[in-house]
Amino acid sequence: MPLFLTQLRFELLKMFARKRTYIGFAAFLAMETVILFLLNLSKPKEHLRRLIEQNGYGFDDYYSGATLAVLMLLWTTTLLGSLYLALVAGDLMAKEIEDGTMRMLLCRPISRIRVTLLKYLAALLYTFILIGFIGITALLAGLAYRGYGGLFVIAPEEQIFALIPAGRAIWLYLAAIPLLALSMAAISSLGFLFSCCNMKPAAASIVTLSVIFLDFIFHSIPYFESLKPFFITTHLAAWLHIFEAHPPWPRMIDDYCYLAGLDLTCLILGSAIFLQRDLK
Amino acid sequence: MIRLERISKTFGSRPALHELSLEIPEGQIFGLLGHNGAGKSTTFGMILGQVHPTGGAAYIRGISVQQHRLRALQGVGAIFETPAFYDYLSGWTNLRIFTAYTRRLPDSELLEAVRFAGLERRIHDPVRVYSHGMRQRLALAQALLPRPDLVLLDEPAEGLDPEGIHEMRHLILRLNREHGMTVLLSSHLLSEVEQVCDRIAILSQGRMIFEGKWTSLIGDALRYRLDADPWEKAAGLIATLPGIALAPDKILTVPPGYDIADLIASLVQAGIKIRALEPRKQSLEEIYLELVGSPTLPDPLP
Repeated sequence: MPLFLTQLRFELLKMFARKRTYIGFAAFLAMETVILFLLNLSKPKEHLRRLIEQNGYGFDDYYSGATLAVLMLLWTTTLLGSLYLALVAGDLMAKEIEDGTMRMLLCRPISRIRVTLLKYLAALLYTFILIGFIGITALLAGLAYRGYGGLFVIAPEEQIFALIPAGRAIWLYLAAIPLLALSMAAISSLGFLFSCCNMKPAAASIVTLSVIFLDFIFHSIPYFESLKPFFITTHLAAWLHIFEAHPPWPRMIDDYCYLAGLDLTCLILGSAIFLQRDLK
Repeated sequence: MIRLERISKTFGSRPALHELSLEIPEGQIFGLLGHNGAGKSTTFGMILGQVHPTGGAAYIRGISVQQHRLRALQGVGAIFETPAFYDYLSGWTNLRIFTAYTRRLPDSELLEAVRFAGLERRIHDPVRVYSHGMRQRLALAQALLPRPDLVLLDEPAEGLDPEGIHEMRHLILRLNREHGMTVLLSSHLLSEVEQVCDRIAILSQGRMIFEGKWTSLIGDALRYRLDADPWEKAAGLIATLPGIALAPDKILTVPPGYDIADLIASLVQAGIKIRALEPRKQSLEEIYLELVGSPTLPDPLP
């Protein structure tokens, strides 16, 4: 087991020693800054004021650092997070196979299953670190800009309209971050799966994004309403339910079971494909 | 040490290797020769369990690579034609990463391999600034960690300058002679193979067309290069002598036991001036080209 941890540490080192990782993290910071700037424009601000005040709450009490952090987290991960995770996960196996380092690794007495498991775990950890980074920096930026206060969350698609008092706001926000990471792990898992197939790293990323994009489109078409439980997008938003006054735990467990099933399927399928491949 | 039993590989509909059987005894330097696409890399891939054979099996120390790959690859090191590394990391970190996939090694062992490969001064530099020769040295260092008893070298001298080729040859010989390692070597550089290998196998179009000591291919016939004046008269005279063949490149082949002094006497008596008569050893390259281009080769794979 300690050797497994050493190998996992090196997998993470490979990911974090690349300049690309830090460029990506800087891009997320830039994105958060842009969102913060946009939220400060009068139109969106007035829209939020109306929504909060229409329900009899004080705008200044709920237009806080935590509220801004949720908005930054939601939009940053939706707009950039999926893309970035697809890129990183799509590279995982395919890049090493393309570069030839996988052949070098597999000259050694290590099983292919162990390699895929290490890579997959590294991808999951990376997802958690990335989402944690986005979540914490969004919170810090929000607190620096608007300070401590209540949390206002609105997600019409999920029929969520929540106003959380200041005392619970930060804790709930912090609890939501790992839940979001769990959701985003589905994108990393899909990226991993395609990365194990016989395709170039860029192709694996594009296929991953295409699957998510098509899933989102079909999920949004009313004609497929009855099929909604089968779309990945349906379950990706599960983390937002933690902000509800009474979180629907059975539904959330159901969502996360679906996503865990998807993750596991991607891992098993990816490993099986990789096991069969000839490395030349 | 290595045994291949009727091992075959077909990629899609393209046959790459056809029923190759080979035995490489412990302690030898064995050369695998063949043109591009002859099946050398495929053979290496199947010995390392990276390519799944469509038939037959590969064994290392009697352990089936296909059934017990992890056990079979204990004590095996390998270098590929273009060794790949994590270019953004140092040579040292690369070694740490690769060896971690076998077991944890002390720094002293890593340093020993680095010194053997002659890379100690640049080992902490990022691999992206390494020259091709340095990458080959790093590849050699990683192949020696942890200390193997079998080393597979796929074109180890490819792309090296003459000095680098000489050093690589020297290192290969040291691995075998000083450390007792069995070496399986594939190379396009036939002169290198000729100088280091005990035995060779020649692959052509996925089939083995020769296996054994390359010197056994030379046969008993003796060869000489002749320069005589007038040449036409000399050639005419030689053509009348039984058992002696004269090639257009002025190479004479005489049968075993033939006394070359008789030929000299005949030429001198005929008034022909002999300007040069030098014995010629047939090189591996000549033998290889003759073999690969030989009309007696088996038919190409369907």
